Amino acid sequence: MKKLLAVLLALTFLVPVMAVAEDKAAGPKEFVIFSDKNAKDNHYIPSGWMGDYGDIKMNDQSADNPHGGTTSIQFVYSAKKSQTQGWAGVYWQNPANNWGNKKGGFDLTGMTKLTFWARGAKGGEIIQKVIVGGIKGTYPDSLVVEMGPIELTDAWKQYTVNLVGKDLSYVNGAFGWTTTADLNPNGATFYLDDIKFEFDPALKPEGKKQQAMPFYIYSDRSSIANHFIPSGWMGDYGDIKYDGSSKEDAYLGDTCIKIIYSGKATQGARWAGIFWQNPANNWGSVDAGFDLSLATKLTFWARGAVGGERIEEFKVGGIMGEFSDSDSATIGPVLLNKEWTQYTIDLKGKDASYVIGGFCWSTNVDNNPEGATFYLDEIKFE
Amino acid sequence: MTKIEPSPDFRQGFGKIMLKKYFFLFFLLIFTVIAGISCNSSPKIYIQKLKNQHYRLMVSGRPYIVKGVCYNPIPIGSNHEYDWWGDPNKPWIADGKLMKEMGINTIRFYQAHEDPKEVKQVISDLYKLYGIRTLLGDWLGFWEYPCPFYGDKKFQDKVMQQVSEMVSLYREEPGVLGWILGNENNYSCLGHVNPWSSPEVDLEPDPQKQKLMRAKIYYSFVNEISKQIHKIDPNHPVGLGNGELVGLDSANKFCQDVDFVACIIYRGKTFGNLFKSLKATFDKPLLMAEFGADSYDAYLKKEDQNMQAFFLQSQWNQIYENLANNKIGAGNCIGGTVFEWTDEWWKHSPDNPEGWKEQDTESSWSNGSYYYDIRAAGNKNMNEEWFGLVALSPQLENGLNKRIPRKAYYVIREFWKNPVIKKTRTKKAR
Repeated sequence: MKKLLAVLLALTFLVPVMAVAEDKAAGPKEFVIFSDKNAKDNHYIPSGWMGDYGDIKMNDQSADNPHGGTTSIQFVYSAKKSQTQGWAGVYWQNPANNWGNKKGGFDLTGMTKLTFWARGAKGGEIIQKVIVGGIKGTYPDSLVVEMGPIELTDAWKQYTVNLVGKDLSYVNGAFGWTTTADLNPNGATFYLDDIKFEFDPALKPEGKKQQAMPFYIYSDRSSIANHFIPSGWMGDYGDIKYDGSSKEDAYLGDTCIKIIYSGKATQGARWAGIFWQNPANNWGSVDAGFDLSLATKLTFWARGAVGGERIEEFKVGGIMGEFSDSDSATIGPVLLNKEWTQYTIDLKGKDASYVIGGFCWSTNVDNNPEGATFYLDEIKFE
Repeated sequence: MTKIEPSPDFRQGFGKIMLKKYFFLFFLLIFTVIAGISCNSSPKIYIQKLKNQHYRLMVSGRPYIVKGVCYNPIPIGSNHEYDWWGDPNKPWIADGKLMKEMGINTIRFYQAHEDPKEVKQVISDLYKLYGIRTLLGDWLGFWEYPCPFYGDKKFQDKVMQQVSEMVSLYREEPGVLGWILGNENNYSCLGHVNPWSSPEVDLEPDPQKQKLMRAKIYYSFVNEISKQIHKIDPNHPVGLGNGELVGLDSANKFCQDVDFVACIIYRGKTFGNLFKSLKATFDKPLLMAEFGADSYDAYLKKEDQNMQAFFLQSQWNQIYENLANNKIGAGNCIGGTVFEWTDEWWKHSPDNPEGWKEQDTESSWSNGSYYYDIRAAGNKNMNEEWFGLVALSPQLENGLNKRIPRKAYYVIREFWKNPVIKKTRTKKAR
């Protein structure tokens, strides 16, 4: 009897304690970035305008068919390249205009996804990517996750960024979008609404998806199929001019890539090149890239402006860092023809399961003392 | 005196016994000859290919994992021209003791010294005192001025003779483990280092074909050397020194007579797909002949022993994962010789004697795989004078710069004692 009393007494104390513990473990289920104009639970400010910021107009109280509540945010992107960047975007920050120079942000540990609703004014507008985290500086975000490109429809649609397993202990740049003039040559008007972090216990970590073939690096300037960014300018980067929307006799479609290498050795390296990376400027410090293990080759078309231009190396992979490419393959030196010629980098026996450096070329002044102008098109894994 | 004649039966019996005895002696003789032949035809150090297509190095009938180090003990204040082989303080004696305590069983020399007596002394001392075996290399004329003319018959003959002499001189040394031909000589075929050509290559206008032609010439030549070594010395394996896996598709066609590939790899914490890639390209056993990490953080501008230890442990872990009979690897690795035993204070300024007295902290090249300090100015993060498992002190100890083992020394020592990887091998490797 005494024992029974003791057990009952213990239970009397334990049950409330366990309930409190359970409550604590559950935590909040969502954390709002934007729900409605002036909503009390908005936690971030769309203050981080980037690139051609003059091309962006924002109406954060658009009453034109909001998804939830009474307002959504309308963005009008003109693609006029006001700051000559060719791209633009907006980050939601905390506090406003915090590019990592002050302590702010939130510890959002426990959240497993970010969701948002979006629609285009007409449908077909392309957001190059949305990004969670990624602001650097003295107080850098603890994560960077990207998703995209996204082709919008004219009806509201919800999109999800999987954050399972990511470090959300410091999030200043909660959400951002970017797009480019190439992807939207005539500009784009689109709407965003109900942007929030959520806790979803059923969500599993997003493994790397084996990408289907063909997998394009460059098809046409405004193609949503393009992957990787030509951001890794190497050596005498001042010697390079890059035009991703050249209309000078494209091999296929309406545009190709035109590269002018001056051979002036601006930085004194006597060589130069460009790596196509994912995400932009990833020299192996960001865990990203694509699983291209179904690819057996990379093919591309190239021609020289006059013929005889010598490219020392065309390459797939080979970026080494904390998160290195899983392999590398090269061809070269290649003497370009004046006519379009297809080249192949053989990937048989290679491990393309983790590719952050999709494509690369490099050349040097010794073999091109007068510089070189050349064109690339239809770069793809097959 | 009575002469006792043996009975006919006895004679018959005695004759049988004698016959048996002769038969026994005859068989003994035959057995000895066969055994002798078989002993000679079965080299004491060789590569064994297992049923599962894995490779292992066999020494005296037992599997042998190369736990090695590259050795070039240049004292503070000297440069690469210093003759340490003839150093009366015998640095290899003190170093060998420390090496043995760490668990090192192999040492790699890039090139033997001119004086065979001194070389034999070093090899013999290391083996007899500490059980440390020697991998002996030859540069194959890579640094000859103005460049190595691998397409030239006279140049080839000279190199061939040089290597043959080396093998003949040291093949009987019990401490010798094997031979390594060249180091990163394959890069000369691409024109990256010490570029060379030949009249037939010059006639070819396509630079890509030129590259393949040079590779064919170079690897065919190495193959000839390898065949020659096997004739002179069937008891030790021959390795092809190679920078990365560059050119090995050509080696697969023209250099099948080498026994293993000795790769020089600087890929930071992971070798990536190296082991599987080699298996697909040129299916030979792999010795990681040069790899490692420096211990100077070029970004924070201070020594960082943790950084070096982190990279080295990760590298050794991958080497062990890819040893024979380990299900999780490619099974083609036979071990490694890490770069290097001691720091070398001359490397940043090889022509400036003042520079040899200071340990330079200026980085000379960039490698993003060593990402801790990649944010250093110009991304130059590799410090050539800081690769040692042991640091050097200006303070002398028995006439030598005092050796100060770095953290990596202890971390790898512990790893070798208890490598935490899944293994399926049944025989204990030494």
